[in-house]
Amino acid sequence: MSVSLRLSTKRGFDTEVWLQRAVVAVGVVFLLLTLLFPLLTMLVKSLQNRAGEFIGLGNFTAYFSNPSLTESILNSLTIAVWTTLIVVSTAFVFAYALTRSGMAGKKGLRLLTMLPLFAPSLLPALSMIYLFGNQGLLKDWLPFDSIYGPVGIIMGLSFWAFPHALMILVTAFSNSDARLYEAAKSMKTPPWRVFLTITLPSVRYGLMNTIFVIFTLTITDFGVAKVIGGQYNVLATDIYKQVVGQQNFQMGAVVSVILLLPALVSFIVERRVQRHQSSQLSARAVPLQPTASPLRDHLLTLFCTLVCGFLLLVVGMAVYASVITFWPYNMGLSLKNYNFDMMDGGGWGSYFNSVQMATWTALIGTAVVFLVAYMSEKIKPMPTARKLLQLLAMLPMAVPGIVLGLSYIFFFNQPNNPLNLVYGTMAILVLNTLVHFYTVCHLTAVTSLKQIDNEFEAVSASLKVPFYTTLRRVTLPLALPAVLDISVYLFVNAMTTVSAVIFLYSAETTLASVAVMHMDEAGDTAPAAAMAVLLMLTSLVAKGLHWLISHRILQRTQRWRQR
Amino acid sequence: MKTPSPYLQIQHLRKSFGNFTALDDISLEINEGEFICFLGPSGCGKTTLLRAIAGLEQQEEGRIVQAGYDVSTLPPQQRDFGIVFQSYALFPNLTVSENIAYGLANMKIPRAEREQRVQLLLDQIHLPDIGNKFPNQLSGGQQQRVALARALATEPGLLLLDEPLSALDARVRLHLRQEICSLQRKLGITTIMVTHDQDEALTMADRIVVMDHGRIAQIGTPEAIYQQPATEFVARFVGNMNLLPARVLNHNQLMLGGTPRQVPLKLPLCDEGVLGFRPESVQLHEGPWGLDRNERFIFQAQLNHVHFMGAFVRLEMGFEAELPQVHVDLPVEQMAQCAPSAGQPLWLSVPKHALKFYPKAGHDQACPHQLTKPENMPMDVAAMQVVGA
Repeated sequence: MSVSLRLSTKRGFDTEVWLQRAVVAVGVVFLLLTLLFPLLTMLVKSLQNRAGEFIGLGNFTAYFSNPSLTESILNSLTIAVWTTLIVVSTAFVFAYALTRSGMAGKKGLRLLTMLPLFAPSLLPALSMIYLFGNQGLLKDWLPFDSIYGPVGIIMGLSFWAFPHALMILVTAFSNSDARLYEAAKSMKTPPWRVFLTITLPSVRYGLMNTIFVIFTLTITDFGVAKVIGGQYNVLATDIYKQVVGQQNFQMGAVVSVILLLPALVSFIVERRVQRHQSSQLSARAVPLQPTASPLRDHLLTLFCTLVCGFLLLVVGMAVYASVITFWPYNMGLSLKNYNFDMMDGGGWGSYFNSVQMATWTALIGTAVVFLVAYMSEKIKPMPTARKLLQLLAMLPMAVPGIVLGLSYIFFFNQPNNPLNLVYGTMAILVLNTLVHFYTVCHLTAVTSLKQIDNEFEAVSASLKVPFYTTLRRVTLPLALPAVLDISVYLFVNAMTTVSAVIFLYSAETTLASVAVMHMDEAGDTAPAAAMAVLLMLTSLVAKGLHWLISHRILQRTQRWRQR
Repeated sequence: MKTPSPYLQIQHLRKSFGNFTALDDISLEINEGEFICFLGPSGCGKTTLLRAIAGLEQQEEGRIVQAGYDVSTLPPQQRDFGIVFQSYALFPNLTVSENIAYGLANMKIPRAEREQRVQLLLDQIHLPDIGNKFPNQLSGGQQQRVALARALATEPGLLLLDEPLSALDARVRLHLRQEICSLQRKLGITTIMVTHDQDEALTMADRIVVMDHGRIAQIGTPEAIYQQPATEFVARFVGNMNLLPARVLNHNQLMLGGTPRQVPLKLPLCDEGVLGFRPESVQLHEGPWGLDRNERFIFQAQLNHVHFMGAFVRLEMGFEAELPQVHVDLPVEQMAQCAPSAGQPLWLSVPKHALKFYPKAGHDQACPHQLTKPENMPMDVAAMQVVGA
């Protein structure tokens, strides 16, 4: 070789790569400390006795030899199966009507179905009591003995889970390819056959996905069962009773492990299914324009109106009950029930605590979620650590809120854990809520990042622009709509969640959603409904603000989106 | 004239993804100011090689030396190159000017000079007035030109183009070919372009690197690649080629179909191979009289079909029953003169220099390559010499 080689430049200290490594490492440590370690601590606790000695599967044997406890497993399954059946079939027809029919007023109906997302899960349960309870308005209409028990739980959960199912199914139905329908039509295929051979297969994965999501949501729910379950025990309420009622933390851990199992299985199957879904549609697909068909459209309109009527009835009942002076003896209207300071549960203070907690969760959570998603999607170094990050980010979906909450007690309340200084503070509530709702936020961020050209990072590197400059100048502005979505999602869920925080609040950090539960426990059903309504209104206001802000910001900063 | 020292040296590069070998012992030298095309079918490793040169992929073995520096392990930020992708990769939320100035911002160049440079680049890509537009207000061709300007803004020593024209429609593509070429000549910047389009490679490149299964199949000027394809793969991939399976009988006889035929080549003594010639090098004759069998390969074939192709006509001709049809390209005028009809037998000849014989791959061990060639040379070279004989 004729070229005289200069000493090959040593790979100098590469600040960028080290910064990336540091952020990935911080992300991994964060999720390990706030998710995996607490869960593992709980697993260990389930194998210990009260004195903290290892006793193997002793707790589990005790659990399974107690029929009053194991009954809950069957109860939980019954509730989950029935609710899934009702919600998925209703949402399936509803989603079909929204996407594939010529029904009028789709936008309005769609908006109404979003209502339950803003209500705490306790709200439908309280409404059920006012509608069908012992002194309920429509008590005589109920074809069952009593609303207190499985019927009430299933009805309340159906209300609460419906929008989740509808969202996934609408997305599935939207992935249509008009060319397939035209081909079928040209071969003179009857409509029922088109439905069976084209429509159903195209939503197959979305449907399975919905079934698993709803199953997980309902088997792990705590709030509805707590308020309206009566003597009917489910796993989630068992954990609460063991821990709060009997101070039996070990048994609480055992039930948690048992509740974690179906959730984990359903979660793993769901992820498997999800993987198939993405490759369903080619980029060349032509979206289907639904055609009108009067008879079908009228039937579907009737159906959707009935569903929305039910949703409105539930919400309306709660609102109405909250302004009744003294149900059912004094039906005059007043705001007496909103005088929370006279009741249990921390009064208005809890409400402001809730707002504060939700705001922090939204602010910190959005930053953490986006940064972690960015690192796991767009950065090259440390492939193993990034894999771990992705895996950890998916896990919270499978962990029921109440299980996570209990894990936090075990992990953060250890005297030898230096992190135990957050115990009993607002910080642990924010952390817990963030981790509880982490997965959906992560997926939102990842989806929007995936839509951004991967070559941007390569181009920046070739232009010698550090990655954080490109993150600030290009990636973040492009992902802004998703970032705003994440923040409002976190805010709304932090306002309404009960299960995750029920074990973690202290006297200074009482929360409004927990107050709803305590007021209901104390027999103050009307103030409980009032607080639930207040939470829903706050969430709606936040959503409205989000809409306004994103509208304004997008108009100002996203000028490039217009042609 | 002194031969210029190579600007870029690639030595024994290896890279695999799992079981898939993307780069298999690639060695290559590129001179300063050269326009090189990596040509090959998808999955041949050409993009991986480009990305390895950029530092976007890390090779498992081998060295990359750029302008005298070993850059093998440097991250992309510390290498000297500009890159243009098929997807343009323009930042959609920045204006055209901001996109072009993106790399200048942290070079501590005064604002006035920066703006001047951006305007100069806009003039160079012949789009002087689009500075305030956003990328999605531009056509595909315009976007790709802006991407080119952005890559050139920091005055890199090496320009990498990853299928820059593939996303554009045919007319724009032709226009942009010329524009990239003239800009490259004007700036004298060493350029590597990845493409799967042979026309692009043939018209634009100083030298073409044909790749196949992570290996280099042939390196040469467009003329050499087209006229002297070194392997059957190159012959199939670049241009049209009649390739007839054959068995070697002796040093100048081939068994084609069921008939022994004399060919004006010195054949290697191996068992099987393919005889190749381009459709445009076939000539039509009234009869076999007066044609020298030592200078031409002469045969008779039956006209099956005539395809009108615009500038020329393509004749599909039946030669031997077991063999694929022979294609013959004729200028339209010549076709009008002889006006053959379907079913008519015609005499065809191919001149010696246009004939190639490729020994069947994998059989090269079994056959001592050439009686006339003494050294043990690599198969590609031997084949080339057979071709050039």
